Amino acid sequence: MVEVKIGLEIHCQLTGLQSKLFCSCQCDYRGEEPNTNICPICLGLPGTLPLLNQKAVEFASMISLALGCRIPDKVMFYRKNYFYLDLPKNFQITQYNAYGITSMGVEGKVDYGVKSTKIRRLQLEEDPGRLIYENTSFYTLIDYNRAGVTLVEIVTEPDFTEPKDVRRFLNKIISILEHLGVCETSLDGSVRCDANVSLEGGKKVEIKNVGSFGDVEKALSYEITRQKTMSVRDIEIRSETRHWDDARKITKQSRVKEEEEDYRYFPEPDIPTVVLGKEFLSSLKGRMPELPDERKIRFLREYKLSDHVSQVLIDNKELADFFESTVKIYPSSPNEIANWIVSDLLGFIDDSKKEGGSLFSGLKIEAKHMAELVGMIDQNIINRNIAKMILSQITKTGEMPSYVLDKMNTSIIDSKAIISEAIESIFKSEKSAVRDAKQNPNAANFLLGKVMQLTRGRADPKIALNLIKTKLAIME
Amino acid sequence: MPNHLYRLTADEVASGIKNGDFSAQEYISQILERIEKIDVKIKAFIAVDKQGAVEKARSIDKRIRDGDRTGRLSGVAVGIKDNICTKDLKTTCASKMLEGYIPPYDATVIKKLKESDAIIVGKLNLDEFAMGSTTEFSNYGPTRNPWNINYVAGGSSGGSAASVAALECAISLGSDTGGSVRCPASFCSVVGLKPTYGCVSRSGLISYSNSLEQIGSIGKTVCDVEMIMNTIAGTDENDSTTKATRPITTATTPNTVSLDRIPKYSRHQKKRNIRVGLVKELIEGAEPAVSKCIYSAVDLFEGSDCKCEDTSMQSIQYALAAYYTIAMAEASSNLARYDNIRYGFDFSPEGYEWNTYFAKVRNNFGEEVKRRIIIGSYVLSAGYYGKYYLKAQKAREMIKQEITSLFEMYDVLIAPTMPILPFKFGEKIKDPLTMYQIDIDTVVANLAGVPAISIPVGFSDCLPVGMQIMANEMEEQTLFDVASTFERILDIRKSPEI
Amino acid sequence: MISKDEIRHLGWLSRLELTESELDRYAAQIDEIVTYFDKLDTISLNGSEPARSIKKVSELRNDKIHMFEGNPLKFSKNRKDGFVKGPRIV
Repeated sequence: MVEVKIGLEIHCQLTGLQSKLFCSCQCDYRGEEPNTNICPICLGLPGTLPLLNQKAVEFASMISLALGCRIPDKVMFYRKNYFYLDLPKNFQITQYNAYGITSMGVEGKVDYGVKSTKIRRLQLEEDPGRLIYENTSFYTLIDYNRAGVTLVEIVTEPDFTEPKDVRRFLNKIISILEHLGVCETSLDGSVRCDANVSLEGGKKVEIKNVGSFGDVEKALSYEITRQKTMSVRDIEIRSETRHWDDARKITKQSRVKEEEEDYRYFPEPDIPTVVLGKEFLSSLKGRMPELPDERKIRFLREYKLSDHVSQVLIDNKELADFFESTVKIYPSSPNEIANWIVSDLLGFIDDSKKEGGSLFSGLKIEAKHMAELVGMIDQNIINRNIAKMILSQITKTGEMPSYVLDKMNTSIIDSKAIISEAIESIFKSEKSAVRDAKQNPNAANFLLGKVMQLTRGRADPKIALNLIKTKLAIME
Repeated sequence: MPNHLYRLTADEVASGIKNGDFSAQEYISQILERIEKIDVKIKAFIAVDKQGAVEKARSIDKRIRDGDRTGRLSGVAVGIKDNICTKDLKTTCASKMLEGYIPPYDATVIKKLKESDAIIVGKLNLDEFAMGSTTEFSNYGPTRNPWNINYVAGGSSGGSAASVAALECAISLGSDTGGSVRCPASFCSVVGLKPTYGCVSRSGLISYSNSLEQIGSIGKTVCDVEMIMNTIAGTDENDSTTKATRPITTATTPNTVSLDRIPKYSRHQKKRNIRVGLVKELIEGAEPAVSKCIYSAVDLFEGSDCKCEDTSMQSIQYALAAYYTIAMAEASSNLARYDNIRYGFDFSPEGYEWNTYFAKVRNNFGEEVKRRIIIGSYVLSAGYYGKYYLKAQKAREMIKQEITSLFEMYDVLIAPTMPILPFKFGEKIKDPLTMYQIDIDTVVANLAGVPAISIPVGFSDCLPVGMQIMANEMEEQTLFDVASTFERILDIRKSPEI
Repeated sequence: MISKDEIRHLGWLSRLELTESELDRYAAQIDEIVTYFDKLDTISLNGSEPARSIKKVSELRNDKIHMFEGNPLKFSKNRKDGFVKGPRIV
């Protein structure tokens, strides 16, 4: 087995802040017209001086604590000197540890599942602007709206050996950041990840420009295969930077030749040394929000949920929040509620939403709906099949379950959603009939009968039959 | 209407206008006339804002007519070194790289001057990006010494000192990184102060070396410099390196300590029993013509209530090396932003590859600036950082500690401002190291962060000699007291015939 | 002894493209200056840290939005649709 070593460098925007890291411009630049969210400071105009954001230091300290890092008494900022079009000052104000520990945290540890990884360091730094490559042969367009936004850089030790583990770790990080409330990870570009990969003590290859976390796993898998192939053919693996090409799903050599840069780090003279101190840190510890690990333990203990169900909830803070809001309204059956969320509700959440954007966007369901629904199940007012149909309706219309049930009992059901749900149920329970449907033209009618039975005769038979026939056709 | 209003001190102008002896418009028109007449010879100004000055004068006169209050510096003509940002007024740093730059904001000191109703008459010449000691490195040509136009005015704030000496404005602002206010003040026979580091806001001062520089003030008298300091000093939320003055207790709250965030300097406070230390290394290192003047001044001073004693500062041997290492290192980084993309001069980037474009535009820095950027990059580069930059900071720490312990024994330290008399154009420009060495007397105060003032103490061969007085951090009041005593005793004040 | 090549490289790091004659002129001057800096060699790096100004977290800027009134790019010439135009990357 060839030993693979993977290390990560994660950049997380502190979207939870109001203003930028060194000036009072708005932190939230998304959707703004180019170069409208700027000021002399973030533009680096001559004569301007950086003004450090207090809350940024607090948030970074919280992340440091949550990642188990050691936080120094005093922190300093350094200049990293290099030229690029997206850097207004042609240096970046960041943190650096070569001359003593002066960044926001070092030597941390993060558990994810049964494994863990060590955190080498955590630091605050400013985001550069954005480049738009329009008419690339003549010019580049620059938008400075993002310049100066607060970034926290998290660097891990090269502890990972499998892309799968990287994925799990990243999920954990997302969960921690969400629970801390420092970053809305669903925002586009709010968390970016670069990786470095090496085989068996060979040269390190850096992989940049990976768009989403899902792609990180793919990029790593590809790169490992590439390196292994080269190694088998005795081709030398060079230490280099490669970019992830999302269209072709490969890593390729950086077009921009990254000359070995000497960043000439030195302490930023315009920012004093910041003393954190015991009082500040202990006060912060006291104010820390509940972290995912703690929350999971509490779920197991308080609600007697299973490990798997708890994990799914914790991995997505929105789900965990939805669960607890529901339990608050209807405390009697936390297990039932959890299962409904994890098994059924998750099914309604668009796969695409799982990558970015709120899980619940487009869905009209709230905690009160879920609470009432489970209550109705508990009281045997409805069975699980009916409940599924009602759930489907709720997510589309936001109507209360009791209302939906009423309509089902008193009027014709013409909602395709509800009928589809019923059909789904019947297809599952009448598998032999479904198989027969190819030969037996009456099978469709038989299935229709079952659906009518299930919906207590309320379903619109024309719609139902059409849906059944369509579903059968697809299955062929 | 009284003639020669341009001869008045800032103090006299402000009270004259407030008392109705003359109007701000009368005063400013004489100033502008004076500038037009003689600046062709001196070249202290890069740009004159005639329209702005006249408008401001008009508004001040109106407010006085209406019986409204006007500021402390009502109507006083002020010149601003062209590395201090003035909103909507071109600010060039005497460099091609900022040829077309018009700042969208005012430096904090400018805001304060405007609030106090001073009249900004124009921007003053300097060595490019404040790097130099003679103003010979300006993109607009050198400024001439009003006492003898074949001689340099000093630098880098040459325009600031020359304009005050030549009576083109009452007071001016400069910047002092290694002596750039005191040097020209000494060469032009005017008073120039470098405040304690952190006493005056640097927000809006275009950076050359952030940990060393301060905005300083120049005037004909100590009283005038005091006046400006009362306007511009104080902590600023836009500059994290400004500090509050030392804690003071007041009569009404004897047990509480309040931090004086805006210091107030008073001309009526007079210290007794001043202990003066004469820094041997600096006085002995000066030209005989210079040290003679210094000693004569000190002799006169000794009569009146003070004790003068020779003293020594061992760590001075490291001062120049430490200063230039730190200054050039910071400069190399501070000047990286000049790539002509957001501001600069007319030269479209279209069609160019970015590295080529950057190199092409940055070719327009002057030679001295380029040299300093390269050396700065060198001392910061991997492998050399410990050898140069760290050691320079250590040397700085040593100098600071030594001077602090000296200030336990002495109230002030005295030395020449410049080790040599003003010299002719071109004399020192060929060899950079020779030029750097004339800063030996002034860099100490910047490295230690302590305030230092230069006052005229005499002439040698009709060329001005300046004396430097240093005090401990935030002890500007002590400097003003001692300096004004010297001023009274020496009674040097006169203006060059131009 | 600082070589012309070293100076050329330092120039590259600072995006200063020096001509041959500039390199010739600078090499000697810079070498002399940097040799002067060797005065610092006798200083020991052991002992106390150089002092810097200090601030507590509570003394830092409050996290509040305050937009700049005016246009910081008002006098910038190279613009297109609100963007700033720069040279090409490749």
